[in-house]
Amino acid sequence: MTGLLILLLFLVAGNLLQSQLDSPVPGSIIGMLLLLVFLIFRGRTPESLSQVSKTLSPLLPLFIIPVSVGIVTQKELLADNGVALLVIMAVSIIPGALVCAAIMQAGRRGGDS
Amino acid sequence: MIQNMLHMPLFWAMLTIASFTVGQHLYRLLGNTAFLPPILTGIILVSVVLEYTGISFDTYMEGGQYLHLMLGPVVVMLAVPLYQFIHVMKKEWLRISLAITLGSGTTVAVAVAMAHFWIGNDPITITMSTKSVTTPVAVTVSEQLGGVGALASAFVIITGVFGALMIPPLLKSVKLDDPKAMGLTLGVCAHAIGTSRALELGNQQAAYSAMAMTLTATLHAVLLPLVM
Repeated sequence: MTGLLILLLFLVAGNLLQSQLDSPVPGSIIGMLLLLVFLIFRGRTPESLSQVSKTLSPLLPLFIIPVSVGIVTQKELLADNGVALLVIMAVSIIPGALVCAAIMQAGRRGGDS
Repeated sequence: MIQNMLHMPLFWAMLTIASFTVGQHLYRLLGNTAFLPPILTGIILVSVVLEYTGISFDTYMEGGQYLHLMLGPVVVMLAVPLYQFIHVMKKEWLRISLAITLGSGTTVAVAVAMAHFWIGNDPITITMSTKSVTTPVAVTVSEQLGGVGALASAFVIITGVFGALMIPPLLKSVKLDDPKAMGLTLGVCAHAIGTSRALELGNQQAAYSAMAMTLTATLHAVLLPLVM
């Protein structure tokens, strides 16, 4: 339970900071960065936090289903642009993947790994 | 009586959990294939039920919000794997940072430019910018920016499935397929779904993919609101 409390504490802190600073970065992201800084200073992950992370991680997709189901309200938009959207998503992967892999492998082809 | 049940918020929370569970079983049944992630099955099943019963999304959300509420804590929780990856990164931090920044920047820039000039609908263009970020972050950032959360989720999932399908043969064909390059690229371009594909390829691929996905999400969550 302490783990969940830590998450909520940082979430509340993140949301508070977001509204105080009028920041365009979402509160939960600020909360995550604050927690990351906390972990770096502390030097290790508290047991309760690893525990809650192990429990909640597999459920993560479940929490995204409700908002995703909102796709049913976008039927017209998808009917008009569905094909274009699929093409854009497929095509845009190619240059990004090549750039990323080329940088990661540059100068050590056939070398270590 | 059925109508009564269909207007009970708890029924929809239950149905969402049931659909996700069916998705998980189906996923395992098909040998953990990256092409039918449990979340996709879950979304399809719930949408079909809504369509069939004629219940509105708003009514559904009265129950769905209980699960949706957990999105915030779960995003904060991403700090835990991120902290672990910082140690892994130390050795090659410059190469990894460059690959992640330029790789994800390229794919997003191409997608946003194509959406802008081809479709020219601002909410779509904005939403497209979050397509390479893991779903919980994409939904959160997209709504903050004036995009559409539901579309963000669809874009991310479809991008993930395409990436898992295209990236391994693409990188093999140009011989950029050492395990680190393959893993990192899957994580950058296909996030969680790419990571489950990377897991099929090997442990090193999976570790690099998980790291890349978390770093990409963090980078984009901070940068996109400032740029878009």
